[in-house]
Amino acid sequence: MTTYQWLLFLHVTGAFLLLGGGVIAGALNLMALGRERPSEILLLFGLIRIAVVSILIGTLLAFVFGLWLVHEAGYGYGEGWIVAAIILLVLANALGGIGGRRDDRTARLARELAASGDAPSAELRGRVRDPISLALSYGSGLVLVALLAIMIWKPGA
Amino acid sequence: MLAIIRPDSWNLPLFLHVLGAIIVFGSTATVAILGFASQGRAEHAALLSRAALRTFLFGIVPGFILMRAGAQWIADKEFPDGAKTPGWVDVGFLVSEPGIVLLIILGVLTWMWKRRGAGGRAARFVPLLASLYVIALGIAIFAMSGKPGS
Repeated sequence: MTTYQWLLFLHVTGAFLLLGGGVIAGALNLMALGRERPSEILLLFGLIRIAVVSILIGTLLAFVFGLWLVHEAGYGYGEGWIVAAIILLVLANALGGIGGRRDDRTARLARELAASGDAPSAELRGRVRDPISLALSYGSGLVLVALLAIMIWKPGA
Repeated sequence: MLAIIRPDSWNLPLFLHVLGAIIVFGSTATVAILGFASQGRAEHAALLSRAALRTFLFGIVPGFILMRAGAQWIADKEFPDGAKTPGWVDVGFLVSEPGIVLLIILGVLTWMWKRRGAGGRAARFVPLLASLYVIALGIAIFAMSGKPGS
């Protein structure tokens, strides 16, 4: 295999870990939306941490080997589709990061409630279904799908 | 080295194929995570098995259809009229076609896990089988992105 083929493999692997991690986080978050018991919400939010690891490793691989690929393939770093892809990657991580911090606070509340009787709580239910948190997390996922489309169509290349 | 430029008409099927593969990859990993998480958590077994079955039905099944339909669409464009396909394409079909048998078994076991609860054998086999398919997908990703031998 050539250097280009290895770089493409590592870049695509990163993309799969990044977007696949988003699928895992989205699926577990959807499950949590329908739950009432704090211990169940805590369990599902805890499992989302595995998705976060996948997203972080995927972001690093996709970004580093993506930039290397730009050089290896003879593209320019100033090309519109490459600049747009970098902006979308940063935006997706920012949205996901802010949403993730709000989810961490929700998980802390769930842990407290689980330790003190595990009774359903209106406050916890409200936080799990908070429209701002959901918009941030699912918005991040939509930005990643747009990023995938840019990577495939390469507009202007 | 100059990157290989695809004809524009290949982009939509490739996008759908890759998107489907990502959904299958993420959903199968989710089923594996839920299965491993259920080990030693009898009090949450019902929740986790229900979540796994829903992920199978609403993630793996539609994702697989999207991945396989996209694959056939782009293969028909790239290798028309029964032209011989290279090894990296064959690896992809090898993962998706015999792989469907593995996924059907995974679906049946996930359904049995939900019906019988934490104590059954299905609860132990679901995460192992899901992990095996994630590894198979990893091999396909290597073959289809790196295109070794081409």
